[in-house]
Amino acid sequence: MKAFDFYAAKDANDAVALLAQHAADPKVRVKVIAGGTDLLADWKFSPHGPDVVVDISRAEELKTITLTEQGLVIGALVTHTQIMRSPLIQQMFPALVHAAHTIGAVQTRNRGTLGGNLVTAVPSMDSGPTLMALEAIVTIAGWGGRRQVPLSEFFVGPRKTILKPDELLAEIIIPKANLGKPTHFYKFGLRKGQALALVNAAASFWVDWGKNTFVAARISLGAVAPKVIRATQAEAFLEGRTITPEAMAEAGRVAVNDARPISDFRASAEYRKNLVAVLTKRCLEGAWALAQTKRVEGSNGNRNA
Amino acid sequence: MVTVTLKVNGKTRSATVPPETTLLRMLRDQFDLTGAKLGCDVGDCGACTVIVDGQPVNSCLMLAGQADGRDVLTIEGLADAEHLHPLQKLFEHFGSLQCGFCGPGVIMSAKALLDENSNPSTQEIRDALGGNLCRCTGYAKMIEAVKGAGCMMRGEEIPEVKSA
Repeated sequence: MKAFDFYAAKDANDAVALLAQHAADPKVRVKVIAGGTDLLADWKFSPHGPDVVVDISRAEELKTITLTEQGLVIGALVTHTQIMRSPLIQQMFPALVHAAHTIGAVQTRNRGTLGGNLVTAVPSMDSGPTLMALEAIVTIAGWGGRRQVPLSEFFVGPRKTILKPDELLAEIIIPKANLGKPTHFYKFGLRKGQALALVNAAASFWVDWGKNTFVAARISLGAVAPKVIRATQAEAFLEGRTITPEAMAEAGRVAVNDARPISDFRASAEYRKNLVAVLTKRCLEGAWALAQTKRVEGSNGNRNA
Repeated sequence: MVTVTLKVNGKTRSATVPPETTLLRMLRDQFDLTGAKLGCDVGDCGACTVIVDGQPVNSCLMLAGQADGRDVLTIEGLADAEHLHPLQKLFEHFGSLQCGFCGPGVIMSAKALLDENSNPSTQEIRDALGGNLCRCTGYAKMIEAVKGAGCMMRGEEIPEVKSA
């Protein structure tokens, strides 16, 4: 691995100060490291490693999962294992638990963080679709203060985000209006363990139980475009439509038009399009099953319950 | 250079290494703990698995500097001169390893599992070992050994060898 200078930040403020100090020189390549499960694997085989590494893995305030006025706030350093074990997330968003479980293996889930998965911005990331289907917002910390943007605007392209060299992803927030929204995630990889997604998808919707119709359907797809996307045509197709198996299957076919997959060594574009239709349908079926369960349990299967 | 002070197998150790040194390299080259193996070096094979603060991790994907102040357990920390750990006994009993290269990593992953749940299901064991690649013995005998070690840790009788 190429040599670099290493600074261990005491907390998030210290990390931002270290970034401001070192990123001021445009010739110096500064990188933030948390779990390191993506970065170290890359740096070992790249001649373009960083000059300065700021380790944020000790910033305890970024490791919490809390309910606030804004919604469910997940610190950027929360690991995939923490997500799987959080009673709050298990109860509100089993889809997030499922998505976390599909990432890597135990060892990578113990180190890898939610923030890291998003910042790496690989189009096949398994954390992306569920959060996009829940209209997550991210908080970015910099020397000048904090700013919030929708997750959908955070990604720019493969391995590119809007983060500036002196900025840090601090939090991921699921807005209050979407707490408990029935959501389902589905990943299709070639194996159960340690496989990247050929396609992954998530769907969420509320139910108008009086009319038995889709309300605020949100569908998100991964690995079928330069970044994680929303299938807006499929969403529009479902809005206000009666919930039937046929509508879910048709939404899957419509979602194919939202996807722009490429052919690579993992799968052809044509195959990925077929997967988009099937996965979208299955996500809608999964979210529908969850909505019905929540209704029976008397929890919030619809927004006003 | 970074100076790293951490607990390894119960003892406080310290080393000064270049910042790009991984925890795995430090354990092997500075502390002569060669149980954790350098396999793929990118976090796929799990041969470098050690337990950090109670959780199994790939030591090839952790910088030495990130391990400062942490509590690390390696395969060398399991047995003492007289007693093998139940997992080591049962891996021997069931013949769960052939070449043995993946062994230290597999056993550390299994130990972390049994520390949390001494009566895991087959699926839970498979999930716990999903990040440890074995290319010669296969997993059937490992799963039996992990179940057997769980029985031993719970003070129950060990089931007979099924796959022999």
